[in-house]
Amino acid sequence: MKRLLLTGTALVAGLATGAQAQDASDVVSHYADMAQAKYTDALITAERLQDAVAALVAEPSAQNMTAARAAWIAARVPYQQTEVYRFGNAIVDDWEGRVNAWPLDEGLIDYVDGAYGGPTDENEFAALNVVANASFTLSGTDVDAAEITPALLQDTLHEADGVEANVATGYHAVEFLLWGQDLNGHGPGAGDRPWTDYAAGDACTGGNCDRRAAYLTAATDLLVSDLEWMAAQWAEGGAAREELLDDPQSGLATMLTGMGSLSYGELAGERMRLGLMLNDPEEEHDCFSDNTHNSHFYNGIGMQNVYLGEYVRVDGTLVAGPSLSDLAAAVDPELDREMRTRLSDTLMALGRIKTAAESGFAYDQMLERGDEAGEALIMGGVNGLIAQTESIERLVAALDLDQIAFEGSDSLDNPSAVFE
Amino acid sequence: MRLEILCLALFLPMAVAAQPASDVIDDILDNHILPGFEALAAETGDLAAAARSDCDPSSEALRAAYGDAFDAWIRVSHLRFGPAETDNRSFALAFWPDTRGATPRSLSDLVRAQDPVIETAESYATVSVAARGFYALEFLLYDPEIQALEPAAYRCALIRAASADAHESARAILTDWQETHAGLMRNAGGNDTYQSRDEALRTLFGALSEGLEFTADLRLGRPMGTFERPRPRQAEAWRSGRSLRHVQMSLISQADLARRLAASRPEIRDRLDRAFQHAITRAEALDDPVFAGVETPAGRLRVEVLQQAVRDAGGVLRAELGPALGIAAGFNALDGD
Repeated sequence: MKRLLLTGTALVAGLATGAQAQDASDVVSHYADMAQAKYTDALITAERLQDAVAALVAEPSAQNMTAARAAWIAARVPYQQTEVYRFGNAIVDDWEGRVNAWPLDEGLIDYVDGAYGGPTDENEFAALNVVANASFTLSGTDVDAAEITPALLQDTLHEADGVEANVATGYHAVEFLLWGQDLNGHGPGAGDRPWTDYAAGDACTGGNCDRRAAYLTAATDLLVSDLEWMAAQWAEGGAAREELLDDPQSGLATMLTGMGSLSYGELAGERMRLGLMLNDPEEEHDCFSDNTHNSHFYNGIGMQNVYLGEYVRVDGTLVAGPSLSDLAAAVDPELDREMRTRLSDTLMALGRIKTAAESGFAYDQMLERGDEAGEALIMGGVNGLIAQTESIERLVAALDLDQIAFEGSDSLDNPSAVFE
Repeated sequence: MRLEILCLALFLPMAVAAQPASDVIDDILDNHILPGFEALAAETGDLAAAARSDCDPSSEALRAAYGDAFDAWIRVSHLRFGPAETDNRSFALAFWPDTRGATPRSLSDLVRAQDPVIETAESYATVSVAARGFYALEFLLYDPEIQALEPAAYRCALIRAASADAHESARAILTDWQETHAGLMRNAGGNDTYQSRDEALRTLFGALSEGLEFTADLRLGRPMGTFERPRPRQAEAWRSGRSLRHVQMSLISQADLARRLAASRPEIRDRLDRAFQHAITRAEALDDPVFAGVETPAGRLRVEVLQQAVRDAGGVLRAELGPALGIAAGFNALDGD
């Protein structure tokens, strides 16, 4: 009975392939359009951040520091929605470490609190402090860091000594330079770097304010140029778009791989459950700014975007078009309903975390040992993400993408560890 | 291309029908999963008893019980789904790799503060997974720095708490399997967890595939590091000298699962088995219990050859058995970065 049913389904799916192949290219093409819109928005908001940083460096003040922080928070909104493109699209995954690497041993960059400690077994350069040191030795090579440039950050410091925690570039390096360490543990409050860390002359706190400003400027410039590059890859004729359009069936598999890998291994696993299991306030994605609730929430929105084919740009325009949901509804309406419901459930759960955090119960407080309310909030998100991953796997099978998903997916073929 | 898909779609179900999936699932449950978790529950029970009667870290009886219980875990360490995933039980038993040194840090914090949280099983279960399970116990039994922490009486209580907690997790997993999850798998297609038999098979296939990745990328890949920068101290359980043993035991257990999963396809089963046997033979010939040899080019090469053999077994699994069963591994915890 069961066998017979399966044969029937497979037959229908097989015969339906013709129509699906045609739709697939439309869906994949719209997926590329959304990527272009998202990375362009990430670029636009990063340029606003760049302006705000320039103002802070030119005229250090509490007001300009606050404005730069606000620009960083805003820049994260579109960027976090792009993360669903990362897994599956090798071109994004290979590049991603430059802009969003995390977690970091921030002592590499600037001064840290005494409790941070010095070099560790895992990382000899955990406390290098480039801002304070114009020259140093790195893996046996003398480094001249008198001038802090984008090239120094990207080519010499980033992942120095082959250690991933040596994060010298990207959003989180900038975040650290704007907020500083969050020394409140599980208590309320984010990083509290004084604006005078950028002040001139005697007003300078923390030492080497000019070098700190140079670092912040270089890291922000690099972020802008990296995003510019990625937006171009999704434009007409761009490499990321072309690769998908060359084989739309495989492109569909890529779309679902991106959703599934972000849902399960990355967000539910590394970014949420791990921190909860370790009760470690440092184990939050935006640990300096206490913006983690937003990073998770917009990851969730990004996944829903891909499924529904709808994205709201930073200027409010709606980008809408043919979607995975349309394809799924044609093959298995019940499964399409299940997928939509589960994506919404996840957003509701991530929205609860955001609601609580914005009303004063920060993400790092939720991670505290024995905090049942915090644990329930975070596990709500984790469980939603696990449930939606099951539905994504069902979709892969329903759309007959099983073997393609396996062969075509970089992150399934070459997974690196969840804890690395 | 389209024609191929059509043919494949027509062909696959008939191929699978050669042996009903339910027989395969029953066999795996009755002869692989349930006995594995029964052994884990029993061995952790012995460990908890041994810790109760003697909590001296150098006690031979305690260390032997610890080794037996850890062995039992390694044999099922690829079965991290379902009951082992519920309430983070597999992490509470086995938090590794620990890239940020959370285990020694959390253990030192507990001992220094003489934290009363370890006094009851309920409160100890809220402690960071880094300070629970086999890898935390390894520090308590084998690491000189942790053993130098005072007071010794607290460390003794901590060893007892961790051993009893491991038994509790193992029992909870076994109970869930016996009372609920085995039934869900047997009746796949009749419940929401497994909406079809293919979903149950995919879960087992995915667990096996992820288990091989874990061995190749983490158990072997971490100490290998890069050619310029080998990292022997990142080997699994090197303090208790168990690194290579874990590779051997997990391969043997996973070979058993592979044979059962491929039962309906004898030719593929035999090829898969040869690939596993090749890797197991390599592992048994490697005279390097904690992969200290990775620091020399010749020693590293030997570990790399073993890693390749493990990856080859994974290759046969995904390239031959997956398509033959009409399934592919889904998403796993090793996705992501």
